[in-house]
Amino acid sequence: MSGSVILETKGLTKAFGGLVAVDKVDLSIEAGKITAIIGPNGAGKTTLFNLITGVYPVSSGQIYFQGGLLNNVPAHKRASMGIVRTFQQVHLFGNMTVLENVMSGRHPRSSYGFLEAALRLPKARREEEAISLNAIKYLNLVGLGTHAEQDALSLPLGQQKLLAIARAMATEPRLILLDEPGAGLNTLEKRQLSDLIRNIREMGISVILVEHDMPLVMGLAEWVIVLDSGQKIAEGTAAQVQKDQKVIAAYLGEDVE
Amino acid sequence: MLARLKSSWSYLAIAALVVALILAPFHWFLGQYTTLMIVIGIYTIVTVGLCLLMGYTGQVSLGQAAFFGMGAYISAILTTTYGVNPWLAMLAAAIMTGAFAYIIGSPIFRLKGNYLAMATLGLGLIIWILFKQLNQSFGEPDGISGIPYLSIGGFVFNSSFRRYFLVWAFCLVILLISQNIVRSRTGRALRAIHGSEAASESIGINVNQFKVKILVLSAVYASIAGSLFAHHVRYVGAQPFDFLASVKLVVMAVIGGLASIWGAIFGAGTTHILSDELLLRFGDWDVVIYGLILVIVMIFMPEGLFVKLKEVFERLRLRYRQRGTEP
Repeated sequence: MSGSVILETKGLTKAFGGLVAVDKVDLSIEAGKITAIIGPNGAGKTTLFNLITGVYPVSSGQIYFQGGLLNNVPAHKRASMGIVRTFQQVHLFGNMTVLENVMSGRHPRSSYGFLEAALRLPKARREEEAISLNAIKYLNLVGLGTHAEQDALSLPLGQQKLLAIARAMATEPRLILLDEPGAGLNTLEKRQLSDLIRNIREMGISVILVEHDMPLVMGLAEWVIVLDSGQKIAEGTAAQVQKDQKVIAAYLGEDVE
Repeated sequence: MLARLKSSWSYLAIAALVVALILAPFHWFLGQYTTLMIVIGIYTIVTVGLCLLMGYTGQVSLGQAAFFGMGAYISAILTTTYGVNPWLAMLAAAIMTGAFAYIIGSPIFRLKGNYLAMATLGLGLIIWILFKQLNQSFGEPDGISGIPYLSIGGFVFNSSFRRYFLVWAFCLVILLISQNIVRSRTGRALRAIHGSEAASESIGINVNQFKVKILVLSAVYASIAGSLFAHHVRYVGAQPFDFLASVKLVVMAVIGGLASIWGAIFGAGTTHILSDELLLRFGDWDVVIYGLILVIVMIFMPEGLFVKLKEVFERLRLRYRQRGTEP
Protein backbone atom coordinates (compact mmCIF):
# COMPACT_ATOMS: atom_id res chain seq x y z
CA MET A 1 0.00 0.00 0.00
CA SER A 2 1.15 3.50 -0.69
CA GLY A 3 -0.11 6.95 0.17
CA SER A 4 -0.95 8.31 3.58
CA VAL A 5 -2.82 6.35 6.20
CA ILE A 6 -5.97 7.89 7.65
CA LEU A 7 -6.94 5.18 10.10
CA GLU A 8 -4.83 2.57 11.77
CA THR A 9 -5.57 -0.10 14.37
CA LYS A 10 -3.02 -2.15 16.27
CA GLY A 11 -4.02 -5.35 18.03
CA LEU A 12 -7.57 -4.03 18.28
CA THR A 13 -9.62 -6.35 20.49
CA LYS A 14 -13.17 -6.26 21.82
CA ALA A 15 -14.46 -8.97 24.12
CA PHE A 16 -18.03 -9.19 25.42
CA GLY A 17 -17.53 -11.41 28.44
CA GLY A 18 -16.09 -14.60 26.98
CA LEU A 19 -17.00 -13.76 23.39
CA VAL A 20 -14.17 -12.12 21.47
CA ALA A 21 -15.97 -10.19 18.74
CA VAL A 22 -12.88 -8.46 17.39
CA ASP A 23 -9.61 -10.29 17.91
CA LYS A 24 -6.22 -8.51 17.60
CA VAL A 25 -7.06 -6.78 14.34
CA ASP A 26 -4.38 -4.68 12.64
CA LEU A 27 -5.73 -2.35 10.00
CA SER A 28 -4.18 0.33 7.89
CA ILE A 29 -6.73 2.30 5.93
CA GLU A 30 -5.37 4.45 3.14
CA ALA A 31 -6.63 8.01 2.82
CA GLY A 32 -8.84 8.91 -0.11
CA LYS A 33 -9.73 5.33 -1.01
CA ILE A 34 -12.82 3.17 -0.83
CA THR A 35 -12.08 0.25 1.49
CA ALA A 36 -14.55 -2.59 2.01
CA ILE A 37 -14.71 -4.80 5.06
CA ILE A 38 -16.41 -8.09 4.30
CA GLY A 39 -16.94 -11.36 6.07
CA PRO A 40 -19.67 -13.81 7.01
CA ASN A 41 -22.33 -12.96 9.59
CA GLY A 42 -20.88 -12.53 13.06
CA ALA A 43 -17.40 -11.82 11.71
CA GLY A 44 -17.18 -8.67 13.84
CA LYS A 45 -17.62 -6.06 11.12
CA THR A 46 -20.22 -3.94 12.88
CA THR A 47 -18.37 -4.28 16.19
CA LEU A 48 -15.29 -2.95 14.43
CA PHE A 49 -17.34 0.05 13.28
CA ASN A 50 -18.61 0.56 16.80
CA LEU A 51 -15.06 0.60 18.11
CA ILE A 52 -13.84 3.05 15.48
CA THR A 53 -16.77 5.41 16.15
CA GLY A 54 -16.56 5.07 19.92
CA VAL A 55 -19.87 3.35 20.59
CA TYR A 56 -17.98 0.74 22.63
CA PRO A 57 -14.72 1.20 24.51
CA VAL A 58 -11.94 -1.05 23.23
CA SER A 59 -10.84 -4.02 25.36
CA SER A 60 -7.24 -3.74 24.22
CA GLY A 61 -5.21 -2.42 21.32
CA GLN A 62 -5.09 1.04 19.77
CA ILE A 63 -6.95 3.04 17.15
CA TYR A 64 -5.15 5.93 15.48
CA PHE A 65 -6.91 8.53 13.35
CA GLN A 66 -4.60 10.73 11.25
CA GLY A 67 -1.79 9.67 13.57
CA GLY A 68 -3.54 10.60 16.83
CA LEU A 69 -4.66 8.04 19.41
CA LEU A 70 -8.45 7.74 19.36
CA ASN A 71 -9.08 5.24 22.17
CA ASN A 72 -10.26 7.68 24.81
CA VAL A 73 -11.99 10.22 22.62
CA PRO A 74 -15.76 10.22 23.40
CA ALA A 75 -18.01 9.20 20.52
CA HIS A 76 -19.56 12.63 20.03
CA LYS A 77 -16.14 14.28 19.67
CA ARG A 78 -15.11 11.94 16.87
CA ALA A 79 -17.59 13.60 14.52
CA SER A 80 -15.93 16.98 14.84
CA MET A 81 -12.54 15.28 14.29
CA GLY A 82 -13.88 14.04 10.97
CA ILE A 83 -15.14 10.49 11.56
CA VAL A 84 -18.77 9.80 10.83
CA ARG A 85 -20.87 6.73 10.20
CA THR A 86 -24.22 5.44 9.02
CA PHE A 87 -26.15 2.57 10.56
CA GLN A 88 -27.50 -0.72 9.32
CA GLN A 89 -30.93 0.21 10.74
CA VAL A 90 -30.67 3.72 9.22
CA HIS A 91 -31.51 5.55 12.50
CA LEU A 92 -33.05 8.63 10.94
CA PHE A 93 -34.66 11.19 13.21
CA GLY A 94 -38.32 10.28 12.65
CA ASN A 95 -39.58 13.39 14.42
CA MET A 96 -38.03 15.69 11.82
CA THR A 97 -38.32 16.61 8.17
CA VAL A 98 -35.80 15.47 5.58
CA LEU A 99 -34.07 18.85 5.66
CA GLU A 100 -33.98 19.00 9.46
CA ASN A 101 -32.24 15.62 9.53
CA VAL A 102 -29.45 17.01 7.38
CA MET A 103 -29.39 20.27 9.37
CA SER A 104 -28.75 18.16 12.48
CA GLY A 105 -25.66 16.89 10.72
CA ARG A 106 -24.28 20.45 10.81
CA HIS A 107 -24.12 20.25 14.60
CA PRO A 108 -20.34 19.82 14.88
CA ARG A 109 -19.76 22.59 12.32
CA SER A 110 -21.76 25.21 14.21
CA SER A 111 -21.40 26.43 17.75
CA TYR A 112 -24.19 28.62 19.05
CA GLY A 113 -25.80 27.34 22.23
CA PHE A 114 -28.77 27.67 24.55
CA LEU A 115 -28.37 31.35 25.35
CA GLU A 116 -27.88 32.53 21.79
CA ALA A 117 -30.80 30.34 20.73
CA ALA A 118 -33.11 31.53 23.53
CA LEU A 119 -32.53 35.20 22.73
CA ARG A 120 -32.10 34.71 18.97
CA LEU A 121 -28.86 36.68 19.06
CA PRO A 122 -27.26 37.68 15.74
CA LYS A 123 -24.80 34.78 16.02
CA ALA A 124 -27.70 32.32 16.13
CA ARG A 125 -29.40 33.84 13.11
CA ARG A 126 -26.17 33.98 11.12
CA GLU A 127 -25.26 30.37 11.88
CA GLU A 128 -28.80 29.14 11.31
CA GLU A 129 -28.75 30.64 7.82
CA ALA A 130 -25.44 28.92 7.04
CA ILE A 131 -26.77 25.65 8.50
CA SER A 132 -29.79 25.54 6.22
CA LEU A 133 -27.80 26.60 3.12
CA ASN A 134 -25.25 23.86 3.74
CA ALA A 135 -27.93 21.31 4.53
CA ILE A 136 -29.61 21.99 1.18
CA LYS A 137 -26.24 21.53 -0.50
CA TYR A 138 -25.78 18.07 1.03
CA LEU A 139 -29.38 17.15 0.33
CA ASN A 140 -28.78 17.96 -3.33
CA LEU A 141 -25.61 15.86 -3.25
CA VAL A 142 -27.69 12.75 -2.63
CA GLY A 143 -30.47 13.91 -4.97
CA LEU A 144 -33.16 14.50 -2.34
CA GLY A 145 -33.39 18.26 -2.79
CA THR A 146 -37.04 18.11 -3.83
CA HIS A 147 -38.05 16.17 -0.71
CA ALA A 148 -36.76 18.72 1.82
CA GLU A 149 -40.05 19.42 3.61
CA GLN A 150 -41.28 15.81 3.78
CA ASP A 151 -41.24 13.80 6.99
CA ALA A 152 -38.04 11.76 7.01
CA LEU A 153 -39.79 8.44 7.54
CA SER A 154 -42.22 9.03 4.68
CA LEU A 155 -39.38 8.31 2.25
CA PRO A 156 -38.95 4.79 0.84
CA LEU A 157 -36.07 2.81 2.34
CA GLY A 158 -33.69 3.52 -0.52
CA GLN A 159 -34.07 7.27 -0.09
CA GLN A 160 -33.91 6.97 3.69
CA LYS A 161 -30.48 5.42 3.30
CA LEU A 162 -29.39 8.23 1.00
CA LEU A 163 -30.71 10.73 3.55
CA ALA A 164 -28.66 9.06 6.29
CA ILE A 165 -25.58 9.52 4.09
CA ALA A 166 -26.47 13.18 3.50
CA ARG A 167 -26.81 13.72 7.24
CA ALA A 168 -23.42 12.11 7.80
CA MET A 169 -21.81 14.08 4.97
CA ALA A 170 -23.13 17.32 6.43
CA THR A 171 -20.65 16.91 9.29
CA GLU A 172 -17.85 17.39 6.71
CA PRO A 173 -16.02 14.16 7.52
CA ARG A 174 -12.52 13.08 6.49
CA LEU A 175 -13.61 9.47 6.86
CA ILE A 176 -17.10 8.04 6.43
CA LEU A 177 -18.06 4.55 7.55
CA LEU A 178 -21.08 3.03 5.82
CA ASP A 179 -22.68 0.04 7.52
CA GLU A 180 -24.42 -2.07 4.86
CA PRO A 181 -25.60 0.86 2.75
CA GLY A 182 -26.86 -1.49 0.02
CA ALA A 183 -29.03 -3.74 2.18
CA GLY A 184 -32.67 -3.66 1.13
CA LEU A 185 -32.08 -1.57 -1.99
CA ASN A 186 -33.23 -2.50 -5.51
CA THR A 187 -30.92 -2.58 -8.52
CA LEU A 188 -31.55 1.02 -9.56
CA GLU A 189 -31.06 2.28 -6.01
CA LYS A 190 -27.84 0.30 -5.74
CA ARG A 191 -26.53 1.95 -8.87
CA GLN A 192 -27.38 5.40 -7.47
CA LEU A 193 -25.65 4.41 -4.24
CA SER A 194 -22.48 3.32 -6.09
CA ASP A 195 -22.40 6.61 -7.96
CA LEU A 196 -22.85 8.52 -4.71
CA ILE A 197 -20.05 6.63 -2.97
CA ARG A 198 -17.67 7.25 -5.88
CA ASN A 199 -18.71 10.89 -5.77
CA ILE A 200 -17.85 11.07 -2.09
CA ARG A 201 -14.43 9.57 -2.78
CA GLU A 202 -13.89 12.17 -5.53
CA MET A 203 -14.44 14.81 -2.85
CA GLY A 204 -11.31 13.45 -1.17
CA ILE A 205 -13.15 11.67 1.61
CA SER A 206 -12.03 8.21 2.67
CA VAL A 207 -14.78 5.60 2.66
CA ILE A 208 -14.98 2.35 4.60
CA LEU A 209 -17.97 0.18 3.90
CA VAL A 210 -19.29 -3.00 5.41
CA GLU A 211 -21.38 -4.75 2.81
CA HIS A 212 -22.77 -8.17 2.01
CA ASP A 213 -23.60 -7.45 -1.61
CA MET A 214 -20.49 -8.79 -3.38
CA PRO A 215 -21.07 -7.29 -6.84
CA LEU A 216 -21.50 -3.88 -5.15
CA VAL A 217 -18.31 -4.34 -3.12
CA MET A 218 -16.26 -5.65 -6.04
CA GLY A 219 -17.38 -2.79 -8.26
CA LEU A 220 -16.50 -0.11 -5.71
CA ALA A 221 -13.75 -1.14 -3.36
CA GLU A 222 -10.13 -0.41 -4.11
CA TRP A 223 -9.04 -2.44 -1.12
CA VAL A 224 -10.88 -5.29 0.57
CA ILE A 225 -10.35 -6.55 4.10
CA VAL A 226 -11.86 -9.90 5.09
CA LEU A 227 -12.84 -10.69 8.67
CA ASP A 228 -13.89 -14.05 10.04
CA SER A 229 -14.70 -14.81 13.68
CA GLY A 230 -13.24 -11.49 14.74
CA GLN A 231 -9.92 -11.96 12.97
CA LYS A 232 -8.53 -10.48 9.80
CA ILE A 233 -7.96 -13.41 7.48
CA ALA A 234 -7.07 -11.62 4.25
CA GLU A 235 -6.75 -8.29 2.50
CA GLY A 236 -5.96 -7.10 -0.95
CA THR A 237 -7.61 -5.90 -4.11
CA ALA A 238 -11.01 -7.34 -4.94
CA ALA A 239 -9.47 -9.75 -7.44
CA GLN A 240 -6.80 -10.97 -5.01
CA VAL A 241 -9.27 -11.53 -2.19
CA GLN A 242 -11.68 -13.46 -4.38
CA LYS A 243 -8.98 -16.02 -5.13
CA ASP A 244 -7.79 -16.37 -1.53
CA GLN A 245 -8.32 -19.91 -0.22
CA LYS A 246 -8.99 -18.79 3.35
CA VAL A 247 -11.68 -16.38 2.18
CA ILE A 248 -13.39 -19.02 0.10
CA ALA A 249 -13.26 -21.40 3.04
CA ALA A 250 -14.69 -18.81 5.42
CA TYR A 251 -17.63 -18.14 3.12
CA LEU A 252 -18.30 -21.79 2.31
CA GLY A 253 -17.72 -22.94 5.87
CA GLU A 254 -14.85 -25.33 5.06
CA ASP A 255 -11.78 -26.02 7.11
CA VAL A 256 -8.49 -25.03 5.56
CA GLU A 257 -5.53 -27.41 5.71
CA MET B 1 -44.75 30.05 0.30
CA LEU B 2 -46.82 27.59 2.26
CA ALA B 3 -44.35 27.83 5.12
CA ARG B 4 -44.59 31.61 5.12
CA LEU B 5 -48.37 31.47 5.06
CA LYS B 6 -48.29 29.06 7.95
CA SER B 7 -45.94 31.20 10.01
CA SER B 8 -47.95 34.37 9.38
CA TRP B 9 -50.96 32.44 10.64
CA SER B 10 -49.15 31.46 13.79
CA TYR B 11 -48.02 35.07 14.38
CA LEU B 12 -51.65 36.10 14.05
CA ALA B 13 -52.66 33.40 16.54
CA ILE B 14 -50.01 34.53 19.03
CA ALA B 15 -51.05 38.18 18.63
CA ALA B 16 -54.69 37.21 19.24
CA LEU B 17 -53.65 35.23 22.30
CA VAL B 18 -51.71 38.17 23.74
CA VAL B 19 -54.66 40.53 23.22
CA ALA B 20 -57.02 38.03 24.86
CA LEU B 21 -54.62 37.60 27.78
CA ILE B 22 -54.39 41.37 28.27
CA LEU B 23 -58.17 41.81 28.25
CA ALA B 24 -58.98 38.70 30.27
CA PRO B 25 -58.62 40.00 33.86
CA PHE B 26 -60.94 42.99 33.39
CA HIS B 27 -64.22 42.61 35.24
CA TRP B 28 -66.30 42.95 32.09
CA PHE B 29 -64.49 39.99 30.52
CA LEU B 30 -63.15 37.13 32.64
CA GLY B 31 -62.34 39.17 35.73
CA GLN B 32 -64.06 36.77 38.10
CA TYR B 33 -61.59 34.07 37.07
CA THR B 34 -58.42 36.10 37.60
CA THR B 35 -57.09 33.92 40.43
CA LEU B 36 -57.71 30.79 38.40
CA MET B 37 -55.88 32.29 35.43
CA ILE B 38 -52.91 33.24 37.61
CA VAL B 39 -52.54 29.65 38.72
CA ILE B 40 -52.89 28.45 35.13
CA GLY B 41 -50.10 30.84 34.12
CA ILE B 42 -47.88 29.43 36.87
CA TYR B 43 -48.59 25.85 35.83
CA THR B 44 -47.98 26.77 32.19
CA ILE B 45 -44.41 27.77 33.06
CA VAL B 46 -43.75 24.38 34.67
CA THR B 47 -45.46 22.57 31.80
CA VAL B 48 -43.32 24.25 29.14
CA GLY B 49 -40.20 22.96 30.88
CA LEU B 50 -41.69 19.50 31.00
CA CYS B 51 -42.58 19.70 27.29
CA LEU B 52 -38.96 20.53 26.47
CA LEU B 53 -37.74 17.66 28.62
CA MET B 54 -40.34 15.01 27.77
CA GLY B 55 -41.83 16.02 24.44
CA TYR B 56 -38.73 17.27 22.66
CA THR B 57 -35.90 15.37 24.34
CA GLY B 58 -37.88 12.24 25.23
CA GLN B 59 -36.80 12.08 28.89
CA VAL B 60 -39.57 11.32 31.38
CA SER B 61 -39.82 13.15 34.70
CA LEU B 62 -42.31 12.02 37.30
CA GLY B 63 -40.78 14.33 39.88
CA GLN B 64 -41.15 17.75 38.30
CA ALA B 65 -43.25 18.98 41.24
CA ALA B 66 -40.07 18.73 43.35
CA PHE B 67 -38.40 21.53 41.35
CA PHE B 68 -41.63 23.53 41.49
CA GLY B 69 -41.70 23.08 45.26
CA MET B 70 -38.04 23.96 45.66
CA GLY B 71 -38.67 27.33 44.07
CA ALA B 72 -41.62 27.93 46.37
CA TYR B 73 -39.89 26.76 49.56
CA ILE B 74 -36.58 28.52 48.94
CA SER B 75 -38.45 31.78 48.21
CA ALA B 76 -40.64 31.28 51.26
CA ILE B 77 -37.78 30.53 53.66
CA LEU B 78 -35.43 33.23 52.37
CA THR B 79 -38.08 35.96 52.49
CA THR B 80 -39.74 35.05 55.81
CA THR B 81 -36.92 33.73 58.01
CA TYR B 82 -34.01 35.67 56.53
CA GLY B 83 -35.79 38.76 55.22
CA VAL B 84 -34.18 38.52 51.78
CA ASN B 85 -35.58 40.72 48.99
CA PRO B 86 -38.20 38.60 47.16
CA TRP B 87 -36.60 39.14 43.75
CA LEU B 88 -33.20 38.10 45.05
CA ALA B 89 -34.84 35.10 46.72
CA MET B 90 -36.44 34.15 43.41
CA LEU B 91 -33.06 34.38 41.69
CA ALA B 92 -31.38 32.39 44.46
CA ALA B 93 -34.10 29.74 44.26
CA ALA B 94 -33.65 29.42 40.48
CA ILE B 95 -29.87 29.12 40.84
CA MET B 96 -30.09 26.58 43.68
CA THR B 97 -32.76 24.48 41.96
CA GLY B 98 -30.81 24.60 38.70
CA ALA B 99 -27.62 23.55 40.49
CA PHE B 100 -29.49 20.70 42.17
CA ALA B 101 -30.82 19.52 38.78
CA TYR B 102 -27.30 19.74 37.39
CA ILE B 103 -25.89 17.59 40.19
CA ILE B 104 -28.54 14.87 39.95
CA GLY B 105 -28.61 15.08 36.12
CA SER B 106 -25.47 13.10 35.35
CA PRO B 107 -26.24 10.04 37.50
CA ILE B 108 -29.97 10.01 36.77
CA PHE B 109 -29.52 10.06 32.99
CA ARG B 110 -27.54 6.85 33.14
CA LEU B 111 -31.06 5.44 33.32
CA LYS B 112 -33.51 5.30 30.46
CA GLY B 113 -37.24 4.86 29.93
CA ASN B 114 -39.14 3.25 32.80
CA TYR B 115 -36.08 3.25 35.05
CA LEU B 116 -35.65 6.97 34.57
CA ALA B 117 -39.33 7.44 35.38
CA MET B 118 -38.91 5.42 38.59
CA ALA B 119 -35.82 7.35 39.63
CA THR B 120 -37.47 10.74 39.11
CA LEU B 121 -40.54 9.50 40.95
CA GLY B 122 -38.40 8.45 43.92
CA LEU B 123 -36.54 11.73 43.86
CA GLY B 124 -39.84 13.63 43.90
CA LEU B 125 -41.00 11.68 46.94
CA ILE B 126 -37.76 12.31 48.85
CA ILE B 127 -37.91 16.04 48.19
CA TRP B 128 -41.57 16.09 49.19
CA ILE B 129 -40.71 14.54 52.57
CA LEU B 130 -37.99 17.15 52.92
CA PHE B 131 -40.60 19.89 52.37
CA LYS B 132 -42.64 18.52 55.27
CA GLN B 133 -39.55 18.73 57.48
CA LEU B 134 -38.91 22.29 56.33
CA ASN B 135 -42.39 23.27 57.51
CA GLN B 136 -41.47 22.33 61.04
CA SER B 137 -38.08 24.02 60.93
CA PHE B 138 -39.15 27.28 59.34
CA GLY B 139 -42.90 27.61 59.83
CA GLU B 140 -45.90 25.89 61.30
CA PRO B 141 -46.49 22.10 61.10
CA ASP B 142 -48.45 22.43 57.87
CA GLY B 143 -46.55 25.10 56.05
CA ILE B 144 -44.84 28.46 55.95
CA SER B 145 -46.99 31.61 56.05
CA GLY B 146 -46.38 35.33 56.02
CA ILE B 147 -44.62 35.40 52.64
CA PRO B 148 -44.48 39.01 51.40
CA TYR B 149 -45.83 40.27 48.08
CA LEU B 150 -43.47 40.96 45.22
CA SER B 151 -42.98 44.65 44.49
CA ILE B 152 -41.12 46.93 42.11
CA GLY B 153 -40.11 50.18 43.81
CA GLY B 154 -43.31 51.33 45.51
CA PHE B 155 -45.53 49.24 43.26
CA VAL B 156 -46.73 46.23 45.24
CA PHE B 157 -48.31 43.21 43.55
CA ASN B 158 -50.95 43.04 46.26
CA SER B 159 -54.01 42.45 44.08
CA SER B 160 -54.73 39.49 41.89
CA PHE B 161 -55.27 41.91 38.99
CA ARG B 162 -51.67 43.08 39.32
CA ARG B 163 -50.26 39.61 39.94
CA TYR B 164 -52.07 38.34 36.87
CA PHE B 165 -50.02 40.63 34.65
CA LEU B 166 -46.81 39.77 36.48
CA VAL B 167 -47.31 36.02 36.14
CA TRP B 168 -48.37 36.16 32.50
CA ALA B 169 -45.47 38.45 31.59
CA PHE B 170 -43.12 35.82 33.01
CA CYS B 171 -45.11 33.12 31.25
CA LEU B 172 -45.01 34.78 27.82
CA VAL B 173 -41.30 35.52 28.04
CA ILE B 174 -40.63 31.89 28.96
CA LEU B 175 -42.86 30.64 26.14
CA LEU B 176 -41.02 32.85 23.63
CA ILE B 177 -37.61 31.78 24.89
CA SER B 178 -38.67 28.14 24.69
CA GLN B 179 -40.00 28.56 21.18
CA ASN B 180 -36.69 30.11 20.12
CA ILE B 181 -34.80 27.20 21.65
CA VAL B 182 -36.99 24.66 19.91
CA ARG B 183 -36.42 26.28 16.53
CA SER B 184 -32.65 26.30 16.84
CA ARG B 185 -29.57 24.13 16.61
CA THR B 186 -30.13 23.25 20.26
CA GLY B 187 -33.76 22.31 19.61
CA ARG B 188 -32.73 20.06 16.76
CA ALA B 189 -30.15 18.39 18.98
CA LEU B 190 -32.85 17.74 21.60
CA ARG B 191 -35.21 16.25 19.04
CA ALA B 192 -32.35 14.22 17.57
CA ILE B 193 -31.75 12.68 21.00
CA HIS B 194 -35.42 11.76 21.14
CA GLY B 195 -35.19 10.26 17.63
CA SER B 196 -32.01 8.20 18.05
CA GLU B 197 -29.32 8.57 20.69
CA ALA B 198 -26.87 6.46 18.68
CA ALA B 199 -27.29 8.60 15.57
CA SER B 200 -27.07 11.79 17.67
CA GLU B 201 -23.71 10.78 19.10
CA SER B 202 -22.51 9.81 15.63
CA ILE B 203 -23.08 13.34 14.30
CA GLY B 204 -21.36 14.94 17.25
CA ILE B 205 -24.18 15.68 19.68
CA ASN B 206 -23.11 15.30 23.31
CA VAL B 207 -26.24 13.41 24.35
CA ASN B 208 -25.69 13.40 28.10
CA GLN B 209 -24.72 17.04 28.25
CA PHE B 210 -27.84 18.11 26.37
CA LYS B 211 -30.06 15.97 28.59
CA VAL B 212 -28.57 17.54 31.71
CA LYS B 213 -28.85 21.05 30.27
CA ILE B 214 -32.52 20.65 29.39
CA LEU B 215 -33.22 19.16 32.82
CA VAL B 216 -31.56 22.21 34.40
CA LEU B 217 -33.62 24.56 32.21
CA SER B 218 -36.86 22.77 33.07
CA ALA B 219 -35.92 22.89 36.75
CA VAL B 220 -35.22 26.62 36.56
CA TYR B 221 -38.61 27.20 34.88
CA ALA B 222 -40.31 25.15 37.60
CA SER B 223 -38.44 27.04 40.30
CA ILE B 224 -39.46 30.45 38.91
CA ALA B 225 -43.05 29.21 38.78
CA GLY B 226 -42.70 28.01 42.38
CA SER B 227 -41.45 31.40 43.55
CA LEU B 228 -44.32 33.16 41.77
CA PHE B 229 -46.69 30.70 43.41
CA ALA B 230 -45.25 31.43 46.88
CA HIS B 231 -45.64 35.17 46.43
CA HIS B 232 -49.13 34.75 45.03
CA VAL B 233 -50.63 32.48 47.71
CA ARG B 234 -48.24 33.85 50.39
CA TYR B 235 -48.31 30.48 52.06
CA VAL B 236 -46.58 27.25 51.08
CA GLY B 237 -47.32 23.75 52.28
CA ALA B 238 -46.06 20.43 50.96
CA GLN B 239 -49.35 19.30 49.43
CA PRO B 240 -49.16 21.12 46.05
CA PHE B 241 -45.78 19.47 45.41
CA ASP B 242 -46.59 15.82 46.12
CA PHE B 243 -46.53 12.88 43.73
CA LEU B 244 -50.02 13.63 42.46
CA ALA B 245 -48.84 17.11 41.52
CA SER B 246 -46.06 15.59 39.41
CA VAL B 247 -48.62 13.36 37.69
CA LYS B 248 -50.87 16.35 37.12
CA LEU B 249 -47.95 18.18 35.48
CA VAL B 250 -47.33 15.24 33.16
CA VAL B 251 -51.04 15.23 32.24
CA MET B 252 -50.78 18.96 31.46
CA ALA B 253 -47.80 18.36 29.18
CA VAL B 254 -49.46 15.40 27.47
CA ILE B 255 -52.77 17.18 26.85
CA GLY B 256 -50.92 20.23 25.58
CA GLY B 257 -49.16 18.02 23.06
CA LEU B 258 -45.76 17.05 24.37
CA ALA B 259 -43.89 18.56 21.46
CA SER B 260 -45.79 21.82 21.34
CA ILE B 261 -44.73 24.96 23.18
CA TRP B 262 -47.96 26.94 22.97
CA GLY B 263 -50.01 23.85 23.73
CA ALA B 264 -48.67 24.15 27.27
CA ILE B 265 -51.17 26.93 28.03
CA PHE B 266 -53.99 24.74 26.78
CA GLY B 267 -52.73 21.68 28.66
CA ALA B 268 -52.21 23.55 31.92
CA GLY B 269 -55.54 25.34 31.55
CA THR B 270 -57.79 22.38 30.80
CA THR B 271 -56.09 20.08 33.31
CA HIS B 272 -56.17 22.61 36.11
CA ILE B 273 -59.80 23.59 35.53
CA LEU B 274 -60.71 19.93 35.28
CA SER B 275 -58.90 18.98 38.48
CA ASP B 276 -59.93 22.00 40.54
CA GLU B 277 -63.53 22.31 39.47
CA LEU B 278 -64.56 18.80 38.49
CA LEU B 279 -62.25 16.13 39.82
CA LEU B 280 -62.51 17.41 43.40
CA ARG B 281 -65.97 15.88 43.50
CA PHE B 282 -64.47 12.46 42.99
CA GLY B 283 -62.36 12.70 46.14
CA ASP B 284 -59.47 10.26 46.14
CA TRP B 285 -60.59 8.82 42.82
CA ASP B 286 -59.00 11.75 40.99
CA VAL B 287 -55.78 9.73 40.64
CA VAL B 288 -57.68 7.08 38.72
CA ILE B 289 -59.17 9.70 36.43
CA TYR B 290 -55.75 11.27 35.74
CA GLY B 291 -54.52 7.80 34.84
CA LEU B 292 -57.45 7.23 32.52
CA ILE B 293 -56.93 10.59 30.79
CA LEU B 294 -53.24 9.80 30.31
CA VAL B 295 -53.94 6.36 28.86
CA ILE B 296 -56.69 7.58 26.55
CA VAL B 297 -54.69 10.53 25.25
CA MET B 298 -51.55 8.44 24.73
CA ILE B 299 -53.44 5.74 22.85
CA PHE B 300 -55.71 7.82 20.66
CA MET B 301 -53.73 11.03 20.22
CA PRO B 302 -50.09 10.55 21.12
CA GLU B 303 -49.38 14.04 19.76
CA GLY B 304 -51.64 15.48 22.44
CA LEU B 305 -55.14 16.89 22.50
CA PHE B 306 -53.96 20.38 21.54
CA VAL B 307 -52.09 19.22 18.44
CA LYS B 308 -55.04 17.01 17.50
CA LEU B 309 -57.48 19.91 17.76
CA LYS B 310 -55.11 22.06 15.72
CA GLU B 311 -55.07 19.38 13.02
CA VAL B 312 -58.85 19.19 12.95
CA PHE B 313 -59.06 22.97 12.71
CA GLU B 314 -56.51 22.99 9.90
CA ARG B 315 -58.43 20.32 7.98
CA LEU B 316 -61.70 22.20 8.35
CA ARG B 317 -60.06 25.39 7.15
CA LEU B 318 -58.63 23.65 4.09
CA ARG B 319 -61.97 22.08 3.26
CA TYR B 320 -63.68 25.44 3.62
CA ARG B 321 -61.09 27.02 1.34
CA GLN B 322 -61.41 24.36 -1.33
CA ARG B 323 -65.14 24.77 -1.31
CA GLY B 324 -64.65 28.52 -1.64
CA THR B 325 -62.49 28.23 -4.76
CA GLU B 326 -64.81 25.82 -6.53
CA PRO B 327 -66.85 27.48 -9.30
